[in-house]
Amino acid sequence: MAPELVQQIRDKARELLTSGAVDCVIGYGRATDGVTARPLFVYEPEKVDELIFDETCTHNLVGYLVNRKGKKTGIVVKPCDSRAINVLLNEGQISRDDVSIIGVVCDGVVETGWNRVGEAQQARCQYCHQHTPVVYDFLIGEPREESPPSAEDYAAVAEMEAKSPEEREAFWAEQFDRCCRCYACRQVCPACYCTECFVDKLDPMWVGIRVAPEENRIWHTIRAYHLAGRCSGCNECERVCPVNIPLSLLNRKMARDVEDLFGFQAGLDDKEMQPLGAFEKDEKLGIGE
Amino acid sequence: MAVEGFSPRMVGFLCNWCSYAGADMAGTSRMSYPANIRIIRVPCSGRVDPLLIIKAFQQGADGVLIAGCHPGDCHYVEGNYYARRRLAIFRSLLEFIGIDSRRLRVEWVSAAEGKRFSNVITSFTDELVKLGPRSEVQVGA
Amino acid sequence: MTQVISKSDLMVWLGRLTESHRLIAPVDEAGTTLFQRVSRVEDIALDFTNTVLSPKEWFFPPTETLFSVEKKDGGIELVPNEGVEENVIFGVRPCDALGIALLDKPFLNEPADALYGRHRDKTTLIGLSCREARPECFCTSMGTAPDDPANVDVLLTEVADGYIVDAVTDKGKAILPQDLLKESDVTAPPPPSMATVPVEGIEDAMSQSFDDPYWERLADRCLHCKLCAYVCPICYCFDVRDYNDKGTVQRVRSWESCQSSGFTTIAGGYDRRAGKGPHLRQRFGHKLLYFPREFGSPACTGCGRCVKVCPVNIDVREVIGDVQGLGGTSGQ
Repeated sequence: MAPELVQQIRDKARELLTSGAVDCVIGYGRATDGVTARPLFVYEPEKVDELIFDETCTHNLVGYLVNRKGKKTGIVVKPCDSRAINVLLNEGQISRDDVSIIGVVCDGVVETGWNRVGEAQQARCQYCHQHTPVVYDFLIGEPREESPPSAEDYAAVAEMEAKSPEEREAFWAEQFDRCCRCYACRQVCPACYCTECFVDKLDPMWVGIRVAPEENRIWHTIRAYHLAGRCSGCNECERVCPVNIPLSLLNRKMARDVEDLFGFQAGLDDKEMQPLGAFEKDEKLGIGE
Repeated sequence: MAVEGFSPRMVGFLCNWCSYAGADMAGTSRMSYPANIRIIRVPCSGRVDPLLIIKAFQQGADGVLIAGCHPGDCHYVEGNYYARRRLAIFRSLLEFIGIDSRRLRVEWVSAAEGKRFSNVITSFTDELVKLGPRSEVQVGA
Repeated sequence: MTQVISKSDLMVWLGRLTESHRLIAPVDEAGTTLFQRVSRVEDIALDFTNTVLSPKEWFFPPTETLFSVEKKDGGIELVPNEGVEENVIFGVRPCDALGIALLDKPFLNEPADALYGRHRDKTTLIGLSCREARPECFCTSMGTAPDDPANVDVLLTEVADGYIVDAVTDKGKAILPQDLLKESDVTAPPPPSMATVPVEGIEDAMSQSFDDPYWERLADRCLHCKLCAYVCPICYCFDVRDYNDKGTVQRVRSWESCQSSGFTTIAGGYDRRAGKGPHLRQRFGHKLLYFPREFGSPACTGCGRCVKVCPVNIDVREVIGDVQGLGGTSGQ
């Protein structure tokens, strides 16, 4: 990102902190590898120069807002992250007055991890048609023209659907077999904010803590279902998975179905009720017909 | 694929007001239908959490039926409308991970439709016999 | 004079081990490398640096049935888990070997964990010296080294065209392929160097930092997932639950992490360690203060896995440096 735009982020953060508009600005700082980014919480105006923004800023910081309900927080968001803000606003998990949103026009982020700056953009950036944040108080960068959505956007989902049921079952069995239930996918996700996740329930104990193929399958399937119509497509779940389970496939499948059946995409605004909380009396969905 | 002598294990979530009463009617009218179905009575088809469905598959069910009131006739007014959306999405997801969508069946059966209920069970059982058992279910660590 | 084995003979030896034992080795899968059972030596990823999950899972599995209870003759029968096989684990790095040795302390101290003990007795470790140190490695600060033979049964060190074979224990000698070994006067290359971490005096520094607001600030970005605990060669927290599957009750032990939110919640919902800061402080407290106090060394081998996987870059090396510099506010 151009240095003057990074400076704008810092200046805005300094302004928000010194004026007392916020207690804390959540943005990106430099990681210990010296080349990638990590989340940074800035409480003091003197520290705003630690804020950075570049193509390794993959993290979705919006999840941190849920814990800070009632406190005034500034936050740096990319467009995908800003959609998560709308989802949380819609669901009453954050209050619009509490957040000062520094929205960044994004050129995409690269494949990244500790000490790793990839050459290629992440897959999610390749089908992104939203380079300007959908909600913000201050905009960093100039809005630009978007490419129109195309059928190619869901190509990976279509490729999976084209396989036979046996191939699909074998594919997912292999993926879920590697899962060690670290729940990094859940913890990194802004939409996974339940104080008691269904997997942690003791009575009824839906999956328990047993790491076994069928339990793993229940975990991933139900999580994907719980995110239907709520996932903003940030793909952080897939990035943090230590064993490379292609979680984006499940989430994109749900996103595509929700778009096809109900014409809805998560997080584009904070007012429209998400589809599984609504209905149309005479709709035909192939259920019970 | 079909397996010789296979008797499918089926779980049915029936809403108390319509489909459970319909099943009762089939019984009192002495209509016969395959005994493969294990019925669980719920207040409304809208109560059926997809977790219940996938848990039933994990515990060994070859097929799961959800039966509720006809849309527009829900005892709780709207429950089956939510169920309809929920089950459309979930069945699609199950298909995506390799659980044949024909194993999850949704039917609207009213309290007067005893004959229809027995027909539904008969046809679902036949379909599951053709589909065969769900692939090896691992229960236990 | 040292014993060496050629690269091709190493494959022959490992092939033999797949027959006589259960051979576990690093395998590439879906872009990661994991220790898995191999039946074909071609599947072994020889050029790996280290795996995502440590080999501790072969002694302390992510999920393990401790015993089952079955109905029998009008009563019940307890069926213990006897299913422990003869394992050989190939490709154990010295940091992971130290991890296993450290894991022995809580598991084998009286009263010893019999199941873990059986896994240990029946497993032979073939260590592999490291040719390179990854940027996240710091094993030399934690009491081991890239060519340390201390905690393995056999140590292989790569040289031109083959490996030096060092039989460290009798268990290791017992599995050596004497017919494939040759004498040589080749010497081992010097081990790779790496940055150091100021571990000296960390116990006192941790003790004095207990009430410092540093921990709350550090935990701001922590996601409280379980990644660091799960990839760590030594983290050993677990939970035990009973599962009732069709009339058989299985008591199962599974991995847990001190970072999970319900970890210290007790009946009634009270949680003494509520809050992000105390949870994260506990992780570092256990590794750098409580474990050393009880067992004599930090519960960290410098493998760097937690540094590599943490989604938000909570870096144990940075934490150690920070805590050393805190200057102490209160004692504990």
